Amino acid sequence: MTAQAQHAAPDLATIEEFLYREADCLDRVDLDAWIQLYTEDGTYWMPVSPDQQSPETEISIFYDDRLLMEIRRRNFGDEWAASMDYDVRCSHLIGNIRYATDGGPDDGWRVQSNFQAAIYYRGETTFYAGHYTHDLVNTPDGLRIRHKRVDLLNCDSAELGSIVIYL
Amino acid sequence: MTQRNNQQIRDLVREDRVHRDLYVNPDVFDLEMDRIWSRAWIFVGHDSQVPNAGDFYATEIGREPVIMVRQTNGDVRVLHNRCAHKGAKLTGRPQGNCKGFRCPYHGWTYKLDGRLAGVPARKGYDNTPFDMKDPRFSLAPVAQADSYRGFVFATLDPNAPPLPEFLDDAAATLDNIADRAPEGEVEVAGPPLRYLHNCNWKMFVENLNDAMHPMVAHASVGNAARRYVAEQPEGTEYPPEAEIIFPFGSSYEFFDKMQVTALPHGHAYMGGELSIHSDYSAVPGYWDAMVKSYGEERTKKILSQNRHNTIFYPSFTAKDAIQAVRVCRPIAVDKTMIESWHFRLKGAPEQMLKRTILYSRLINSNASMVGPDDWDCYTRIQEGLVSDAKVWVDTSRGLGREEAVGDGRRKSFGTSDLSYRNQIQAWLEYMTDEVAA
Ligand code: FES
Ligand SMILES: [Fe+2]
Repeated sequence: MTAQAQHAAPDLATIEEFLYREADCLDRVDLDAWIQLYTEDGTYWMPVSPDQQSPETEISIFYDDRLLMEIRRRNFGDEWAASMDYDVRCSHLIGNIRYATDGGPDDGWRVQSNFQAAIYYRGETTFYAGHYTHDLVNTPDGLRIRHKRVDLLNCDSAELGSIVIYL
Repeated sequence: MTQRNNQQIRDLVREDRVHRDLYVNPDVFDLEMDRIWSRAWIFVGHDSQVPNAGDFYATEIGREPVIMVRQTNGDVRVLHNRCAHKGAKLTGRPQGNCKGFRCPYHGWTYKLDGRLAGVPARKGYDNTPFDMKDPRFSLAPVAQADSYRGFVFATLDPNAPPLPEFLDDAAATLDNIADRAPEGEVEVAGPPLRYLHNCNWKMFVENLNDAMHPMVAHASVGNAARRYVAEQPEGTEYPPEAEIIFPFGSSYEFFDKMQVTALPHGHAYMGGELSIHSDYSAVPGYWDAMVKSYGEERTKKILSQNRHNTIFYPSFTAKDAIQAVRVCRPIAVDKTMIESWHFRLKGAPEQMLKRTILYSRLINSNASMVGPDDWDCYTRIQEGLVSDAKVWVDTSRGLGREEAVGDGRRKSFGTSDLSYRNQIQAWLEYMTDEVAA
């Protein structure tokens, strides 16, 4: 983190408001609005193991760049896709929001938080929980996400079924 | 079901259809565990998962908990994961390293090869049948374990044919995966992705050579990608993901041309030279590394083999051109764990592994835009088969239009149900052979 970025660090209330906004986009299943919260080079990563180092040389549950986000939102709800033939409803709770003590982009900030998400899909509600890591940067449009890492508590378990929406 | 005799099992299968009991009846599932999963060679793991002496990996053969463990002499053994004392599983963690096994309950210890090393306060066994040397008090090795190009299989049946005989020509897929490495060897890259399916295990395996579904079940993601590109400024090139996604929407004619080859024991593969993977662009440096190892002619030959999915009935499926495999672990009649594993080609540019990972993430992941559609269709079959309106599942496409190509192998057009019928035939052979039960 550069001295300047440090200097300009938003207060936690601003960060909190921004993370709530992101969660709200997902709760409303508004992927269009959600994608707009990412930078052009933004990525979303859900590793398959707790200490996974690389999204490129090891498998992940999700690793989307903007392009895949754009394809995913166009695929979402497609009447030809069997997996999309169901209502999807989400409820996210975020807490313990704090600045990370290390890491993060040179021109921004790394923020960590805990999350719980209940996803209603195929007539069942599934409970997910874990840790978020957001790399945030300031842009002319306000805060944006350069990278989001979602560490599920059960990322490597044998109990995960289909996940059809970002958490 | 256990009371059902061979004739009653045979009644579940006709030349052109199978009874829904194969998918929904828990008794049939129990019998499959005894007669198929305890007899066939089941994929355990790859020996690169346990590179050093004492490295172990725990998994299941059907319902049987087992441990694959590297010995001090370099061999890989497969042991039953069951303490010889009162039966506790020896390892809680699925993998790790140990000098020997120590049961957490009463502290019996075992050498890496399974032999009993010690029991606390042994005097208490004086004048009893207890004997350190008696195999009864050691960890049991599985009936047979063997590996082919590093891929470790085991069977609980001492009378099963040797592994190479079991693999038949499916072995060529494992050869090709390893040969595609300039060093002639692959190694596991990272942990697997586990995906719990709410369906019978056979639906997953049968789907792997079902060439009638991609253009329907997987149409949406290709369309979404096309819509996205169409919205971009003129001249925008298709992204690299496109060459993985688009072939899933290939025509019926394309898949027919790929052909399907059925092998003994229920194995089969699609493709050969042409597959949905044959048009991938070259990765810089890979060709040169291959030619350096093999020379140009052999390199061409290796890279011209493009099998789509090879089925190693019942537990294992592999893609040679992608170096990705999926392992089928049945849990209950309507629960199946699918593991995706990925391999690094030793001596190849890292870009090759990145493509393998990209492929699997786009296609196999439980959060991809392909896998969940397959998942949903299997689940719907599981849900639909409760209907009493009909009890038969159709397997008739291409019936009678297959061609014997020698050594018990048969070939047909790609969208034929040949591989399906071939699996059912193997199912029947395993299920009705009461001699070895
Ligand atoms: S059950 Fe293992 S030592 Fe007793
Ligand atoms: Fe599929």
